[in-house]
Amino acid sequence: MSNVRPRFDFDESLNAAFLEELFEGDTIYAETVFEDFLKDLPVYWERVETAFNNKNLPVLGTCIHTCKTLFGYVGFTDLQELCQQFENKCSVNTVEELRIEYILLVQRKEKAQHIIEKEYTRLRLFNEDNG
Amino acid sequence: MKTTCIIVEDIKIAADFLRKFCEKSDLIEVKGHFLNVADALEYLDQEKVDLIFLDVEMPGANGFDLLDRITYSPMIILTTSKTEYAFDAFQYHVNDYLKKPFTYKRFLEAVRKLQQPGPEATPAPVPQQAAPAANQPADTEFLFIKSEDKLIKLKKDDILFLESMRDYVKFVTPGKSYITYSTLKNMEEKLIGPTFLKVHRSYIVNITKIDDIRGNTIYLLGNQIPIGKGHKEDLATRLNIL
Repeated sequence: MSNVRPRFDFDESLNAAFLEELFEGDTIYAETVFEDFLKDLPVYWERVETAFNNKNLPVLGTCIHTCKTLFGYVGFTDLQELCQQFENKCSVNTVEELRIEYILLVQRKEKAQHIIEKEYTRLRLFNEDNG
Repeated sequence: MKTTCIIVEDIKIAADFLRKFCEKSDLIEVKGHFLNVADALEYLDQEKVDLIFLDVEMPGANGFDLLDRITYSPMIILTTSKTEYAFDAFQYHVNDYLKKPFTYKRFLEAVRKLQQPGPEATPAPVPQQAAPAANQPADTEFLFIKSEDKLIKLKKDDILFLESMRDYVKFVTPGKSYITYSTLKNMEEKLIGPTFLKVHRSYIVNITKIDDIRGNTIYLLGNQIPIGKGHKEDLATRLNIL
């Protein structure tokens, strides 16, 4: 019987090549990072919502910047780019001008969170089976 | 011996990755992790580390504020997810710049670069100051620097200021500048005395040549030198500002 640990394939909506390089096959650590992401994102996103509702664009930009970094660690490189664009606009646009983009960003974030929840469960089961 | 470091980073995942990479490398010892600049500066007032992994955007003061306030010159690796800071990083003479999230391979590249022998780790190829003859006091009126394959005699009194250029130092005199292979830290030790003062992470000035000071800038024969926040008090004391 082979002792080679099977490979974990990340969801196709994530930047799998980057995640392979980042975790170097350490799925236990990947599980920890995905778990941390699921704990941390709601906390940071609450700050995003507060800043948007208070029309505080400098703070909104800073909060989006933090979320952008978090998305990067779980392989959402496309969402990182979207956050970067939104962050840049926070210094030149008004809240009203950003409203539609903000709604789209919220939808993308919800979708991303859902994918990571599923990936976290898959990672946990994978690690249990191959631990 | 391992390089000691602190991590200044407000995002847990990012800080955990850094700590893990440091441990894995077996080259870096993490002395502490701070979530903001104020806590990091408080620690650095008591302890000195060789290296700081420094995030730029954090709640309150940002990473560049720490560089303005710090009173010694550790190696700095900026960690940020914004490429726009690259220019500022260059101006602050940081040792490297890691864009988050970064892989272990990229981390190791940055760390190994720091550990390559440079002017900090090894003596400069040619002494910057004339060696005194045995039992004779050194002539403190001038120094020799190696520039463009020559040993150039510089009267200390002619030097306006020194600027750090990573592994090199630029000496600026009224008519000419000279670049030599050394570090500002080295020069600070050699120029100790009442005339020269470090006013910024990247600058030492000849205080007798200062024309005036406006805000956080020293004006000196047509040159503008920034004053780092951490050096303001020293400067005020030395200039006897009332």
